[in-house]
Amino acid sequence: MTIASAPPHSDVDLFSDEVLLDPYPVYARLREMGAAVRLDALDRVWALTRYDHIRAADGDWQTFSSDASVGLNEVINARLVGSILGSDPPWHDKLRAVLMAQLSPRSIRRITDYVEEAADRLVDSLVERGRFDAVPDLATVLPLTVVFDLIGLPESGRGNMIRWADAMFTIFGPLNDRTRAGVQIIPEMYEWLGTLQAEDLRPGSMGRSIFDVAGEQGFDHHQCVKLLATYVTAGMDTTINAISNAVALFAEHPDQWDAVRADPGLIPSAFNEVLRYESPVLAFARRVTRDVVIDGVEVPGGDQVVLLFGSGNRDERHYPDPDRFDVRRNPVDHLSFGYGIHTCAGQALARIEGHAILRALSERIRRFHTGEPKRHLNNVVRGLESLPVEIET
Amino acid sequence: MKISVDRDRCEGYGVCAEVAPDLLHLDDDGELVVDVEDLTPEQTETAASAARVCPVAALSLRDAG
Ligand code: HEM
Ligand code: SF4
Repeated sequence: MTIASAPPHSDVDLFSDEVLLDPYPVYARLREMGAAVRLDALDRVWALTRYDHIRAADGDWQTFSSDASVGLNEVINARLVGSILGSDPPWHDKLRAVLMAQLSPRSIRRITDYVEEAADRLVDSLVERGRFDAVPDLATVLPLTVVFDLIGLPESGRGNMIRWADAMFTIFGPLNDRTRAGVQIIPEMYEWLGTLQAEDLRPGSMGRSIFDVAGEQGFDHHQCVKLLATYVTAGMDTTINAISNAVALFAEHPDQWDAVRADPGLIPSAFNEVLRYESPVLAFARRVTRDVVIDGVEVPGGDQVVLLFGSGNRDERHYPDPDRFDVRRNPVDHLSFGYGIHTCAGQALARIEGHAILRALSERIRRFHTGEPKRHLNNVVRGLESLPVEIET
Repeated sequence: MKISVDRDRCEGYGVCAEVAPDLLHLDDDGELVVDVEDLTPEQTETAASAARVCPVAALSLRDAG
């Protein structure tokens, strides 16, 4: 293989307001430049831009390590040491087994009816109102309720949880103003979580089970709190944004909404397409453990690569006509849940929630008319702050 | 060719069964079941797609026999 003499590089700041407001044209330019593009704005960091290379990196943890490497600054990476997201096997697999005992499709199925009913009640109340804000009134309600109920958390943290989860994600970015603000907020969450003892978590809940197995797994209280934090934050912003993105997309594409209403069998495919089209998590990083050649470009060992899930999902090399939103596409292989050993542990739950909401909405609402959406900027999560909606039933 | 499931890795998402419903299904307990032992060339192609979409890379194809 030949090595290009000057590797492709770009001075774009992927974490600036400007790019976060509209990342897709920038991603398209980076994809054109190469599968691995060095980012001048950061120190020894490359963007992986194309579907095949992102998936391959996610599937090869020996070369693309998560160990203290998933974020783009030292503060978060130090914090992530020993967490499920920020560690490699064998420690990672041990934590994952503890979470999957609760979150695997087999275990989570039993809550399907509960989530379906919660979605029905929620959408009924919104239909009665006729106009509402799809972010706080719809998208936020179900994940927040489900996560608090399932984990068995006391209500005292509820009012702050959205702000905390948002901060937890934004600090994965480089040390910009958003990250600095997030770093100030995180200790509040740990302070609250740190006060919780096993007895504070509802018996039989997912949160309680962490403490129940702590003895046999050799987790101390601090590790239990860390796992609790992962549970709570990972399933919050992500699912909320997926639901608000869905409403925005279906308002913009009424023909696609008609298709889902005419054939509810399309709901799983439609939810996959919503996730592909607007990846709730735009990017996570890895560190290469040795020199690797990516698409003819040598990336030196020790450098970080940013897996641009949001770019891979729009890669024309993998998805024909990628900027078209098509509920019949069923892109089951989208990158929005990642891939490989770190693939989203909560994807079965996220699907149950997403499908329940789409079903409840499609049974009752013929049209969404939306006002001016307001984007919420976060270094790695893409979603909305506000989306005024008026509905036709 | 045969489909081989790495049971330690499989977390039961069933994405594979969505892609190859004639070859794989999840049983009532959510365990993945391989329905066809020896694959025809055409089935092998479908099975390869199923293996590609598995989020945890738990499926592979191996030579029969
Ligand atoms: C639509 C909603 C969601 C999206 C888009 C999403 C996305 C992701 C992504 C991109 C990763 C990293 C994958 C990788 O690096 O390959 C991840 C990991 C994870 N997610 Fe999700 N997620 C969602 C919902 C949830 C929910 C509801 C939960 C649980 C309550 C959850 C728990 C986790 C955990 C624990 C991990 C770490 C897994 C590991 O490192 O082994 N997620 N998620
Ligand atoms: S897609 Fe993979 S993890 Fe899911 S059931 Fe099939 S083999 Fe198991």
